[in-house]
Amino acid sequence: MLTNPLTKNITGKNIAADIASYLANDGYAGWRKALTMEPNNIVTLVKDGGLRGRGGAGFNTGLKWSFVPHGEDAPKQKFIVCNADEMEPGTFKDRLLMERDPHLLLEGMAIAAYAIGASIGYIFIRGEYHLAAERLELAINEAKSQGLLGNNILDSGFSLDIFIHRSAGNYICGEETALLNALEGRRAIPRAKPPFPQVSGLWGKPTVVNNVETFCNIPHLVALGVDWYRGLGLEQDAGSKIFGVSGKVKNPGTWELPMGTPIREIIEQHAGGMRDGLRLKGFLPGGGSTDFLGPDHLDLPMDYDVIGKAGSRMGTGTIIVLDDKTCPVGLVLNLSQFFARESCGWCTPCRDGLPWIVKVLQRIEDGEGLPEDLDLLREQCQRIGPGKTFCALAPGAAEPLQSALKLFEQDFIDHITNRCCPYK
Amino acid sequence: MPTITIDGEKYQVDGDQNLLSSCLTLGLNIPYFCWHPEMGSVGACRQCAMIEYKDSEDQSGRLIMSCMTPIRDGGIYSVNAEMAKEFRGGIIEDLMTNHPHDCPVCEEGGECHLQDMTEMSGHTMRRYRGSKRTHRNQYLGPFINHEMNRCITCYRCVRFYNEYAGGNDLQALGRNHQIYFGRQEEGRLENGFSGNLVEVCPTGVFTDKTFSAHFVRKWDLQTAPSICEHCAVGCNTAPGARESSNNLDPILRRITNLYHHDINGYFLCDRGRFGYEYVNSATRIDKVLSVRDEDLIGSTADNKDILHKEINPQDAVLNLSVQITAAQRQLRRIIGIGSPRSSLENNFALRQLVGADHFYSGLNYLDQEVLQLVNSLQSDDRILSPSTPEIETSDAVLIIGEDIYNTAPRIALAVRQAARNRQKQAAQSLKIPLWQDASVRQLEEEHSPIIFIGTALSNLDDIADATLFESPQKTALFTHALAQEISGYKAPNLKMPPHLQEMVKRTAAILLKAGKPLIISGTSGKHPGTLQAVAELSRALSDDKKTPTKLYLACSEANSLGLTQLFNGTEGNLQQLVQTLTDQRSANIPTSLIILENDLYRRLDKHSVEKLFSLVDEVILLDTLLTPTAKRANCIFPASATAESQGTFVNNNGLAQRFYAVYEGKGFIQESWRWLVDAVDFCTETCENLSVLKEWKHSTDISDAIAREFRVLRVLDELGPDENFRIDGLRIARQSSRYSGRTAIHAQEHVSETPPINDPDAPMSFSMEGIHNPNKTQLQANIWSPGWNSNQSIFKFQEQVGGERKGGPSGKMIERPRHPIPDWTNTLEKSPQPPNSMQMLPIYRLFGSEELSNQSMAISELIEAPFVLINPKEMTQHGVNEGELVDIETSSGIYRTEIRRCNTTPEGCIGVPYGLPGLETLAALMPGYATLRPAATHSIAGVEN
Repeated sequence: MLTNPLTKNITGKNIAADIASYLANDGYAGWRKALTMEPNNIVTLVKDGGLRGRGGAGFNTGLKWSFVPHGEDAPKQKFIVCNADEMEPGTFKDRLLMERDPHLLLEGMAIAAYAIGASIGYIFIRGEYHLAAERLELAINEAKSQGLLGNNILDSGFSLDIFIHRSAGNYICGEETALLNALEGRRAIPRAKPPFPQVSGLWGKPTVVNNVETFCNIPHLVALGVDWYRGLGLEQDAGSKIFGVSGKVKNPGTWELPMGTPIREIIEQHAGGMRDGLRLKGFLPGGGSTDFLGPDHLDLPMDYDVIGKAGSRMGTGTIIVLDDKTCPVGLVLNLSQFFARESCGWCTPCRDGLPWIVKVLQRIEDGEGLPEDLDLLREQCQRIGPGKTFCALAPGAAEPLQSALKLFEQDFIDHITNRCCPYK
Repeated sequence: MPTITIDGEKYQVDGDQNLLSSCLTLGLNIPYFCWHPEMGSVGACRQCAMIEYKDSEDQSGRLIMSCMTPIRDGGIYSVNAEMAKEFRGGIIEDLMTNHPHDCPVCEEGGECHLQDMTEMSGHTMRRYRGSKRTHRNQYLGPFINHEMNRCITCYRCVRFYNEYAGGNDLQALGRNHQIYFGRQEEGRLENGFSGNLVEVCPTGVFTDKTFSAHFVRKWDLQTAPSICEHCAVGCNTAPGARESSNNLDPILRRITNLYHHDINGYFLCDRGRFGYEYVNSATRIDKVLSVRDEDLIGSTADNKDILHKEINPQDAVLNLSVQITAAQRQLRRIIGIGSPRSSLENNFALRQLVGADHFYSGLNYLDQEVLQLVNSLQSDDRILSPSTPEIETSDAVLIIGEDIYNTAPRIALAVRQAARNRQKQAAQSLKIPLWQDASVRQLEEEHSPIIFIGTALSNLDDIADATLFESPQKTALFTHALAQEISGYKAPNLKMPPHLQEMVKRTAAILLKAGKPLIISGTSGKHPGTLQAVAELSRALSDDKKTPTKLYLACSEANSLGLTQLFNGTEGNLQQLVQTLTDQRSANIPTSLIILENDLYRRLDKHSVEKLFSLVDEVILLDTLLTPTAKRANCIFPASATAESQGTFVNNNGLAQRFYAVYEGKGFIQESWRWLVDAVDFCTETCENLSVLKEWKHSTDISDAIAREFRVLRVLDELGPDENFRIDGLRIARQSSRYSGRTAIHAQEHVSETPPINDPDAPMSFSMEGIHNPNKTQLQANIWSPGWNSNQSIFKFQEQVGGERKGGPSGKMIERPRHPIPDWTNTLEKSPQPPNSMQMLPIYRLFGSEELSNQSMAISELIEAPFVLINPKEMTQHGVNEGELVDIETSSGIYRTEIRRCNTTPEGCIGVPYGLPGLETLAALMPGYATLRPAATHSIAGVEN
C-alpha cells in the first residue's frame, strides 16, 4: 500500500520529476479518472476523504469546493488558484513539493478545476522561489504537450490553462483574499467576507484558492479512494502530511509522515533530537504564527483538533524548536518584527499595535524594560486577538507572544530585573 | 421595524442600516473613523467596537465592529460594556502612537474628528515611549495642503478620491505602519472633487490651502446657509467669514459643504469650494465708481478704456434718481438688463424700476431660447427632473450633448455612483447590504450602462461604455432617431452613418430594458435642435414605460431658470433690445441703460455690444467684478456677492432656494436692489411702480412681491421664515458661542465692542447673540454639536444618518403650469455652413468657463492659456501643427491662439473653450462659424478687431 503519496517521486537529487518519470509512476492517473467522473462526485469524494487545508487553517477542502455555484445560472468563468506564497516563518514544505514533483501539483489543480468548473488556474508563487517557478513552467509545457492541460484535455471537452504569477513578496498574500487582490494588481489587503471567493473571487468570479500541499493530496485521493486515504492517518485526521523541524536539532528537515504522528517521534527520530548539550524548552508546532507548546506536549499526535485543544494550532505542520540556550524574548521579538513588517496596514490593531509591541519587546531585550511592560504586552495581545482585527495575521502574530508570556514569563522578568538579556 | 436593545434600552431601528449608523441615528455617541455615511463600511479602523450578546443569558458577549454589523431583530448590544470601552480606548491609543499632537498649529484643530474621537474614547494618557514615524509632504496644487505625519491611516481619502470620485492620482503607497497617502510624484490633484478630502479626512492631513491664506478657527467664523453660484446645480454651502486685525470688514475665508439630501449630499466640486475667492479678488468692486477725467485717483482702465474714479455714493445715487425722475416725466428712457447670475430679487427690483416693457433678460436670443426649451420640457408631466439620489439609483444613463463634469460637476459625481448599480444589484442578490462597501466593491466590475453622445466628455469616459463624439446636428439627429426607434416608428429618410444607426438600436434596447433609465442633457451646447430631440425621446420613453422619464437638464448659471420665469418665450433678449433701440433712434429721447450684474461681452458679439452702448447715453452698472462691461459704464455701483446678500436662485430642477448673507460686504457694497431702492428714495416724484420700491425694506418684501406677481414663483414667500421669526424670542446667531477676540481684535484702534450690524433681511444676528444650535430650521449653517466639532456632526442635524435635514429640506419647487411639450417635428435644421468655414463648438472647463470663479486666485492658477481644439485630419488639411498659433477669424475679430490636437473633435468643427480668459468674447458667437488659418510667423497670441 502506498504510504508516501506526496513524496513518492522525490529522490535525494535536486531534480524535478519530469513528465516521463511522473507518468511512469502512475502520474495523472487521478486526473484521467477524474475526467470520467461527474464533477460533483469529485467534490463529494474529497469531502468524504477528510482532506483538510494544508495551508494552516485546516478547513475541509471538499466542503470549501462545494460552496462554488453550479448549474445554468452560475457564472461561466471560474478560477482555480494555488496559494504557493509560502512565507510562514519556519515553513519550507511547499517549496520541496514544487521543486521536486511539479506535476503532482498540476494534476491536483487540474482535478480541482474540473470539479468546480474552472477553465483558468493561477499559481501564485513566492517571488524568491525561482527554481520552483522555472520547474513549474517547464512542467506546464510538458503537460500541455501531452494533452494533459490546455484545450480539450484528453478529448474530454474540458479545457484548462494554468499560469504562473510570481509574487512581489508579501506575507499577507498567504491570506487568500489578499492574494486575489494582488493577483488582480491591487494592493494586497484582505477582502471583506462575505462574499467568499467561492462566490465572488478573482475579478468577481467564483474562485477556489488552495495551498500547494492541499492540491498535492488530491491526485492520489481521487485515484486510490477515500478508504485508502483515511487509512493513511494514525488518528482522527486523514492522509499524510509533510512535517518539518527547524531549530537546534541534529537533523532539521522535512518528511512525509502520516497525520497523527506523535510530535516526539518527529523531533526525536526524524530530526534526530536536540543537538548535544541543549534541552528542548518549547516549540511552535506549526510555524511562526502558532502558540508555544512545552516539553509536556511532546507526546501529542500531530492532528488538527488535538493540537488545537492543547492551546496551539497545527498550522503548516512545520515545527520550530526552542532550546534552553536561546533567548525566548529575542525569538518572539524576531517574529514580531516579521509580523509588524508584513502587516498590510489595513486595520489599526495590526498596523499600529504590532510596531508598538516590537518597540516594547526590543527595550525588554535591550534591558530597558519596565515592570509594567508585561501587562502592556498582554493587553496588546488581547487587542490583536481573534475577532478584533480584519484578518488572521495579527491574531497569528499574537500567538507566539502570548504563549511565551505564559510559558517563559520568568525569562521576561529576568530581562527586566537584570536590565539585560541573560542569554547574552 | 426591528427592535434592538442597547445597554438595557429598547429601540426601534431601520433594519437596512448597520449597527453604527443606527446608533448614531438614535443619538448615541460611538467613535469611528473609516466609516462614512455616504461611503459605507470597510472595517479598517476598528474604532466603533461594541458588544453583541447571544441572548439575555449571555453575560460576556463578543466584541463586534458596529459598522460591519447588520441589525438583528431582537439583538442585544452594548456600547458601554467595559470590554468595548477598553478596546476602543486601546484602538485610539494605537492610532495616536504616531500622531504628532500638533493641534495648536494644525488647521484642523477645533473641528478635528480625531480630536473629538480621542476625547470620546477617553484616551488621555500617553504610554507609548517609542519614536514616531514621519513622512515627507507633497505639493498637491493650489487647493490642498498635505501634512502626512498627522495621518491615522483610515483610508477615507483614497476611498473617496479613487473609488467614489473616480480619481487616479492619489494612492495608498507602501505598507504596514509606513503607509503613505499621496501622489506618485508631486503635483496638483487632478480630480475636480479633491476639495472634499478636506472634509473627508478625519484629521489635518488634507486641509484647505485657500483657507490657510487667511486662516481662523472654525469657532471664529460666522456663517449662514448659502447657495453655490458657480453653476446651476444649486449645491448648499456654508461659507465662513471673519474680520481680521488689519481689516475691520469681514472677509470671506472659506466654503464648506452644507448637507442637502436631494442636491449635494456630503460633497461639493472644487469650483464651488474654491471659487469663492473672487469676492476678495483684485477685480472686486467695493467703491462707487464714475467717469470723470479730472482728479483721477484710481484707474480701472487698460490703455484706451474709460477711466473711473471713486465718487461719493450719495452723488451717484442722486444722479441715478435724477435720471429716474426724468423718466417719470417722459424726458428720458430707462432700460434695464437683468442677469442669470443675480438673484430673483435683484432682477425683479430692476424690472419694477424700469417697467416690464423696458426690462430685458440680459441673455442673447439663443441662450434664452434654449432656456425656454428647458422650461417647457420640465413643464411636461411626462418628464421628471431627478434629484441627486434619484440620479444615483438610475440603472442606465444616456448623456446627450452635455459635458456635465464641467457644466454641472456635482451631477457627474452622482452619475459615477449610478454606474455602480449593477454591482449593487449583484450585492443584493447575494444578500450583502449596500453599506458593506468593501464587499460590494469586490463584486463583478461591469458598469451599469452609461452612453454619451456629444462634443466633449470629461472625467466620465472611464465608466462610459459608449462615447460618440459628434457635432450638435448629428447629436440631435441621433436623439431623434432614438426617439423614433423607441416609439416603434421607422424613420424613412434619416441619413445617418451605419455606426450611429447601430448605436441607436443598441441604446434604444438599453433604455427600454432599464428599470430606472435617466437622460441628461442641457443648454451648454446652445443647440435647440438637440433639446427638441431630447424632448421627443423623453416623451417616447415615457409613453413606453408609462411613467415620467427622468431627465436632468443642466443650465449654465446659478439663476438661469429663475430669470427664465420672468420672461415669455424669447421676449426681452438682447438682440431684441438692440433692434428696438435702433428702430427708435429717431425718437431722440435720452436713454439710460441699467445693467444688473452682467458682462454683455459674454452675451453678444462685440459689434452688437458697441452698437448698444452707442445707442444709449448713460450706462449704469451694478456688479461685483470689474468686467469688460464695467469698463464701458458711466457709473458703477458695488453689488453684494452671494455670500454677502440674501436672495433666491432657481436651480436646474426648478427648485427655488434662498441664500442668506453670511456677512456684510465691505465698503459701500450692498445688494443691487438696495442701490435701486436708494435711488428711488431720492426721487421727488413717484408713480405707482416706484412707490412699490419705496416700501421695500427687507429682502423678503421683494420675495413676497415676486410671489404675488408671478404665479409660477409663488413659493418664494414660503422659502424660509421672514426677518421677524424668533426662537424663544431670539434670532439665530451667525457666530458660534465660542467666537473669540471680539474686543481684542481691534485693540489697536479701540477696546470697545462695536454694536453688531442689524440684519434687516433674515432672522439671524451678525453676532454670537441668539440661538446657537436650533436644529428646528434650515437657517443653521454652523454644523456643530457638543463633542462633535467637525462637519461629521451633520448627523445630529439629520432625521436619520444620510436622511433629510431636521426642519425639512431647504427650497421649494417652483410651480410651473403643466403643459405637454409642443410637437417640434421636422426642426432638424440643415445648417447653412459658409464655405471654407469651421463650426465653433463650445467646450467647457471646470476651471476657466465660469465667469466668477475665474477670478479666484487658486482657480486662476489652473486655468489654461487660450487654445482651440481640432481633430488631426483637419489639422493636416489646414497645414497647422500642434502648439502652433492660428488665426480664428470671426465676426468679432481675429483671435490668434494656440491650436491643440483632439481626436474627438467632430469633423468640420473647432472646439473653443467657453469663457476661457482671453477668449471670453467668443462665448457669444458660439455655435457660429469661423475661418481658420495659420498665423503669420513671429506673431503673438491675442485679439485683433
